[in-house]
Amino acid sequence: MTLAFAAMLSAIVLVQACSEEAEMPASIYGVKTKYEDQLMAKPGVVSVGIGRDDQGNAAIIVGLDRPRAETVEALPKELEGYPVLTSVTGPLKAQ
Amino acid sequence: MPDDLSTIRPALKAAAPRLHSCANVVATGVGYKISQGARTSNLSIVCSVSKKLSPTQLSTRDLVPPAIDGIPTDVVETGRIRAFQSRTDKHRPAPGGVSIGHRDITAGTLGCLVQKNGSTFILSNNHVLANSNDAQPGNPILQPGPIDGGRFPDDHIADLHEFVPITFSQPEPPSQCPAARAVAAFLNATCRVIASKTRYKIVTLQAEDNLVDAAIARPLNQTGVKDEILELGIIQGSAEAALGTTVKKSGRTTGLTTGEILQIDVTANVQYGAGQVARFTDQLLAGPMSQGGDSGSAVLDDENRLVGLLFAGSDTTTIINRIQNVFSALGVSR
Repeated sequence: MTLAFAAMLSAIVLVQACSEEAEMPASIYGVKTKYEDQLMAKPGVVSVGIGRDDQGNAAIIVGLDRPRAETVEALPKELEGYPVLTSVTGPLKAQ
Repeated sequence: MPDDLSTIRPALKAAAPRLHSCANVVATGVGYKISQGARTSNLSIVCSVSKKLSPTQLSTRDLVPPAIDGIPTDVVETGRIRAFQSRTDKHRPAPGGVSIGHRDITAGTLGCLVQKNGSTFILSNNHVLANSNDAQPGNPILQPGPIDGGRFPDDHIADLHEFVPITFSQPEPPSQCPAARAVAAFLNATCRVIASKTRYKIVTLQAEDNLVDAAIARPLNQTGVKDEILELGIIQGSAEAALGTTVKKSGRTTGLTTGEILQIDVTANVQYGAGQVARFTDQLLAGPMSQGGDSGSAVLDDENRLVGLLFAGSDTTTIINRIQNVFSALGVSR
């Protein structure tokens, strides 16, 4: 019972925290962590990492098991200002 | 005196079969004659021998004549000429970069030596030394690995000491706990009342993501291992790899290769054999620099500092554990 009450309290605190948007510009690490599960859930995605685009800007790079037009189409082009690129790595296997 | 290569080469070609039939001759070629330890400017037919003997110890037939068609000969002792030892051969002492494996696997790569509590251990992957969690401390480790002909007990080099278990992914099962479900239902009702879009779903807790595929084995004998890496030499401490760092590795299958760190903070799903997948976080990603059997290779930067432990990849990609995560997971150091 005590546990359930504690859970309710913390839920209310959480709901309030979630409704306040952070004003600070997020680091690419934070942005990557925030969207990682969502990106990894798309068909054929095998990796998500931080690299650079052709201009040398920090970018979020999504690895694919094979060329996948639908997944590329479904992925955001950028997240909170950081470019999102795709790269076909093939399936990653323990060697 | 004929000192022209165009005359000497045909003479050597004609004489070579006869010279190679002499006892101890292991190679013939054209070179400057060495006289009293100094190189002269005279070209000669050089006979390399496994052991230089005085003419009295040899039969007349086995004597290299002093000259052939007027061209002087020279006899030098080179010892037996062997092919360089292959990485899949047995090595004692065994350096990093050679074949190794638990008795139930094929083969991987001996990474390097590390220290723990004052003792020296062999570092490689869990899936190389501990058969992807399916092993017990004390199990024999073979060098070379079984697929390269390693057999127990002849090639027994070390015993598995410790491994970091790999957590394999499972589909997320809904929680079976009624109390938790009741709490979730209540919380979701609360959320609806205050018009929040937040909802609670109770799931059985998943184990944490993996950081390393790593294990250590205790050498049976300190003289059986060597604290350097084939073709890379001695490790000069450790360092953090960053985007753009040039890296190199020395592995059982593809030998010495180099690459560049193209991504950091990488989360990756890695396949292990029959349909098992494990998610790794905080990995380094480099371009193509490995194939099956290279797993366990130590990854160094261009100052020979240890930065990672190679464990997975594809034809285009290499996935590397950060060495800092390996050190802390196993409590080892360099």
